[in-house]
Amino acid sequence: MSGYHERYEQLREIIAEVLEVEPHELTDTGDFAEEYDADSLRAIEIVARIDKQFKVEIPQSELPELRNLKTTYDAVARHAGWQD
Amino acid sequence: MTQRVVVTGLGPVSSIGTGAADFAAALRAGRSGISRITGFDPTGFPHQHGGEVCGFDPAAWLQRISTAKWGRSSQFAATAGRLAAEDAKLDLERIDRSRAHAVIGTTSGESVVVEALTAQIVADGFGAMSPDLLAQLPAGRLAHAVSEELGLHGESVTLATACSASNYAIGYAYDLLATGEADVVLAGGADSVCRWAHAGFYRLGALTATACSPFDRDRSGILTGEGGAVLVLETLEHATSRGAYAYAEMLGYGVNCDATHPVAPDRATIAECMRIAHRNAGVDPSEVDYICAHGTGTPANDLVEAQAVIEVFGERPPPVSSIKSMIGHTMGAASGFGAIASVIAIEQGFLPPTVNWVHPDPQIPQIDPVPNQARPATVRVVQNNGFAFGGNNAIVMLGSPR
Repeated sequence: MSGYHERYEQLREIIAEVLEVEPHELTDTGDFAEEYDADSLRAIEIVARIDKQFKVEIPQSELPELRNLKTTYDAVARHAGWQD
Repeated sequence: MTQRVVVTGLGPVSSIGTGAADFAAALRAGRSGISRITGFDPTGFPHQHGGEVCGFDPAAWLQRISTAKWGRSSQFAATAGRLAAEDAKLDLERIDRSRAHAVIGTTSGESVVVEALTAQIVADGFGAMSPDLLAQLPAGRLAHAVSEELGLHGESVTLATACSASNYAIGYAYDLLATGEADVVLAGGADSVCRWAHAGFYRLGALTATACSPFDRDRSGILTGEGGAVLVLETLEHATSRGAYAYAEMLGYGVNCDATHPVAPDRATIAECMRIAHRNAGVDPSEVDYICAHGTGTPANDLVEAQAVIEVFGERPPPVSSIKSMIGHTMGAASGFGAIASVIAIEQGFLPPTVNWVHPDPQIPQIDPVPNQARPATVRVVQNNGFAFGGNNAIVMLGSPR
């Protein structure tokens, strides 16, 4: 459980930094584009940082799935093979 | 009185040929200049190809500047300038040097030098930077390399408007000549293949693997390329007085910027840029015989560019081909190569092909990309497109000499 929580919060921090908000301002289901003003370049930056931090490779084609913190976590978990 | 402006010299240094004759023959043959990158080690990148000028030997061409003192992009610019001046049979001892200018466009300037310095900093700290390399760093030196190589005493200006920069340079040259400020302008652009552009475009999802296929249904991106593309532009009066041969007349140009999104192209602004160029050149869309496209091979660019063409030209636009299918995206040199290809199309009477083209794009059935084989044609008026990140658009209009 602690692994899950730690990774989730780590992801929140990474994404919040890219979106230029405080981690506590980034909610689980807040839409990156609509609520945090992200565009396609921000999305690419998020993926780049995730790839580096978690040593995964999220294909460009899955970018549309990364709408909010929760769906992004699910995508990373799937590619990293995390069993939560 | 507005001076008429003509093109009297072509200086391409490209992955498919150096000099006007070789470059023209390669365009006609639909040759590809794409190979595995050697300028940096591409190991580890999922995609490893680009359009490098293999075996570039500037010392064989340059007469005045030393290759030891100039970066790769400046060497491309100076070599292209030297070739263009020779092609124009420009006797530099007999022209008024103070009225001969150099205007060079670029995206990343001396990018190879930047990377070498960065490697030194990363390895051994700031103190390890080579003073010789630092001296080569300023991007403004691209135009200076041309001025110094040819001994030109007019303005020496580098324009960093990225992927439309050569058209910006040619447009500025047109102003200098049309208003009587200059007799001769060496104008074009230069850029080098570098890891930073390769990595950046890869991360944007805009880089393809081995074959760039503009206007194809399944196109998937650009390949980075390099080279120098310089044209000699002259007032008609000056060209006539020295008995020079005019390949083409420059009819005008248009520039604008949509200033909305960093990378997404905007159809309305691009269409407006075409109208500005037509107005400036006194050309009706029905008179345009060929469009030398920006045609990067990304899904977004080619769709938006084609839609803008259809908006301006209607359902039956002239043929639209992309030489990036052969040489890759040469960044700041791209629209300079496009301008040279446009002049060759007029001069030699053929349309350069879009190679690697397999499937029509059902979204833009009106577009004839001149697939895979050059096509004989009478070409009187050409529209040469150049679009840059930030929505910075520049279009040059060229016509057969009258």
